[in-house]
Amino acid sequence: MTKDSLQKLEKLYQLCLTEEEKEGVIAFFAKQDDEFAALENIDTANVERMVHVMPILTVVREDVEKKLFTREELQRNAPETMDGYWQVPRLVE
Amino acid sequence: MRYETVIGLEVHIELATESKIFCSCSAKFGGEQNDHVCPACCGMPGMLPIVNKHVVDLGMAAGMMLNCDINRVTTFDKKSYYYPDLPCSYQTTQWFAPVSVNGRVDIETSKGKKSIRIKQIHMEEDAGKLVHDDWTNTSLVDFNRTSVPLIEIVSQPDLSSAEEVIAYLERLRSLLRFAKVSECRMEQGSMRCDVNLSVRPEGSDVLGVRTEMKNMNSLSAIARAIEYETARHIDAIENGTEELVQETRRWDDTKGASFAMRNKETAGDYRYFPDPNVMPIVIDDEWFNTVKSNLPEFPEVKKARYIDELGLAEGDAEHLIQSRAFCDCFEGAYEVCGNAKEAANWLIFDCSKILNQKQQTVDQLNISGKALGELIKLVLDEKVSRANAKKILSAMFEEELDPAEYAKANGFIVSNDTGAMESVIAAVIAADPKSVNDYKNGKEKALMALFGKCMKELKGNCNPQVLREMLLKSIENA
Amino acid sequence: MKLYVSQSSAAAGCVAVDDMILTTDQPTAAGSKMLDGYMSLFGAEVVEKIKAAGYEVGGKVNVGEFSIDMLGETSFYGECADESGKLAGAVAEVVKADGVKACLTLDVNGMPRRAAAIAKTVFLKPTYGTVSRYGTIPVACSGETVGVMANTTANLRDVLEAVIGHDDKDGTSLSDEKCALLKRDSDFKAVKKIAVIKAMTDKVDGAVAADIDAFKAVAEKNGIEVCEIDGSELLAAKAAWNVLMSAELCNNVSRYDGVKYGYRTPNYTNIDELYTNSRTEAFGMLLKSAILYGSQSLLYTEKNRGAYDKSLRVRRVVYDYMAKLFEEYDALLMPVCSKAAYTKADTDSNVTLSFEENVYTAPASITGLPAVVVNGVQLVGKAFSDSALLAVAEICEKEGK
Repeated sequence: MTKDSLQKLEKLYQLCLTEEEKEGVIAFFAKQDDEFAALENIDTANVERMVHVMPILTVVREDVEKKLFTREELQRNAPETMDGYWQVPRLVE
Repeated sequence: MRYETVIGLEVHIELATESKIFCSCSAKFGGEQNDHVCPACCGMPGMLPIVNKHVVDLGMAAGMMLNCDINRVTTFDKKSYYYPDLPCSYQTTQWFAPVSVNGRVDIETSKGKKSIRIKQIHMEEDAGKLVHDDWTNTSLVDFNRTSVPLIEIVSQPDLSSAEEVIAYLERLRSLLRFAKVSECRMEQGSMRCDVNLSVRPEGSDVLGVRTEMKNMNSLSAIARAIEYETARHIDAIENGTEELVQETRRWDDTKGASFAMRNKETAGDYRYFPDPNVMPIVIDDEWFNTVKSNLPEFPEVKKARYIDELGLAEGDAEHLIQSRAFCDCFEGAYEVCGNAKEAANWLIFDCSKILNQKQQTVDQLNISGKALGELIKLVLDEKVSRANAKKILSAMFEEELDPAEYAKANGFIVSNDTGAMESVIAAVIAADPKSVNDYKNGKEKALMALFGKCMKELKGNCNPQVLREMLLKSIENA
Repeated sequence: MKLYVSQSSAAAGCVAVDDMILTTDQPTAAGSKMLDGYMSLFGAEVVEKIKAAGYEVGGKVNVGEFSIDMLGETSFYGECADESGKLAGAVAEVVKADGVKACLTLDVNGMPRRAAAIAKTVFLKPTYGTVSRYGTIPVACSGETVGVMANTTANLRDVLEAVIGHDDKDGTSLSDEKCALLKRDSDFKAVKKIAVIKAMTDKVDGAVAADIDAFKAVAEKNGIEVCEIDGSELLAAKAAWNVLMSAELCNNVSRYDGVKYGYRTPNYTNIDELYTNSRTEAFGMLLKSAILYGSQSLLYTEKNRGAYDKSLRVRRVVYDYMAKLFEEYDALLMPVCSKAAYTKADTDSNVTLSFEENVYTAPASITGLPAVVVNGVQLVGKAFSDSALLAVAEICEKEGK
């Protein structure tokens, strides 16, 4: 992991680290990568991925509409709203 | 040198469901801003996604209509990117095991018949909408469309012209509307299209640089964009006017040109991974067969049947198959009244006229075929006059009713009470001696005036033939 | 000692909930500046359940930012430490010192287990899927579980009884039938043979080793056979869990961007600055490290399916290995952490210490298997063996320390 490639990750996930913080994160990556490298010794070529630890299948609901909250309630925690919209700086089209 | 265009399409279709894909908010089009929203679909923490079963039904139905294989175990995955219309900054979609794969759509153009291969159909959630406010120079976010269920139909790059693309889209629209998967209304955004296009020398088997134009929502704009983009690519190749790069472009229909968009994420940047909160969906035989048995006949099969078996004119059959609702109503009405031509006419002329007045589409036809059939039967049996039957039809668009009972209750039943007719005729003649004289002096029109007055007095509930004969007799004797 | 975020003291006998569990009458912030003052519109299913069982809900207990740290040291509201700087997990301190009957706490990365080990309280991370996660702040959904912390096993059982059960609002929730399995075998005699994981006990300090020896003595005295096995296969769980947890976390905390609710930076002129500065100013260094590590793990190419995919496969290898051990043993004995105490200085000098110390907690986290912490040691059992593990905890309680 280099500072440049870290910068790309920061950009994707909307973070901005100082130079010192970058160094710390790169050291953290290095430690994790070392640990992870040991997993390469585990042969997983014929192992299925395990996304869910419990064998539950097909959880679906019927197509029924239900209103839970009003717009005013939903925007109670909002930093800025206007006419019932959430408001953000203008996006360049 | 001659060039050929290679086009693949990604078509997004909003599904016709009551509620959203992972929460119970309304999925209906419109509504006040942020009125169809709950904590889950505006990105608040803590609610967990539960899949709407009907979305899976429709994903399968679409796959079956497009000759796909159905993945009997289908799973959902998360895809990350930042944009204000995406409240969780991830979209839940299907990457590893989409519901339908490996399909085929047959189209016909001026160059003949062609099969377009379908790579996959996956289910996913829609994003919200942004409105730009010039006054405050801000953008305003509306999450009503967030998490509305979509399917994305991904074709192989088998299309080679605007004409083929339009034939393909029209075919998709017809099939999916028929299967009640979606209304596919481009003007409301319930059918949108991403066009992937590249150009190569004719006969070459190497693909050129591919560009993608996103969110096209009218057929004519798509045609213009394809013409423009093809010319731009050829110009770049032949004259080196620019270097083609793989990118996403936005089509500006008013300027008639495409422009590069600023974000250039690649598939890797989206970082797909399986959603730990949504369990795999297993489609067992029972579920599969239920969806399969509810599929409609293909429109052209219906059309042929209407012509060959029911004796409809080709134009009438073609008109009916534009809408599944019309076909269902037609078939129901025919079953009751036994007269296909009558049933078709009532739909094509009378029902269409009322829908027009109500500014509704043919898919919004909401009267039962059985009731229409009963109404037609009343007319054919001469129990209700045609004019009064039209009034009853209008009432049927407002509420569910039994035509015979409604006719009785509103005095629309044709009466054969000649005594009542005679007294009405006598009164009309007595009140308008001038018209009687005019007719006797050869003015045919005067008879129509008298006839109309009688009909009005009788509220239309008499056999016009009988009335006419009785009226003539009375005038002679007057 | 910062025990509570929004309430200073608690009524005796109430059930406290940690700051990862949504409540409608008190704010829920996940220990983060990002969610400071955030009022949820709905309460967690577990909160509704403890209310329905007649318990009063106590204060919101302080946790570290999104609860991935050692002992709550990354909380925006300040760490929970004594004058000497010794860290104590607030989720354990409230049951030990503040008279609450129990504390419900989300076990994301082993924090409640470490807190219980250090405070010598008793804690159960139940079998995954038996307690609803509806209304908990999502971090690492594939493994995190709401657990119960208490001073005594009896109190723990009472509150556990109230919160287990199926929930239609959680797609990973097990059926009531399955959940009921967890209640059987409340006799410790269901646990006949315990394996001590030597690859883990080898690395711990004297105090932790003494706890393990003490446990062995109690178990053997009660007729439970205790064997030692190497078990170094279990060490792989840590690296895989760090990848899965970070990746899921990265994705789950993407939603906090200063637009809909939560912290919004005053320093912005455009949307990118709004996002970036809000997140950069509100998130701490451990969380940022985890986000970035998680995003890197999710990266894949045509040739390399990436660390996330590998970790999902290693999860199955670990699960299968443990399933095989459970054919022979009824429970696995592991330390909870390598030291009996940690100070603020430890975590200040190594912000990501919890990504190393979780080597002991990761096997149960990545597999969703139940884990009981008692007298400073951890017992991990097969799915639904929760009650039997608690029965063993009970005999430890009776025998004293």
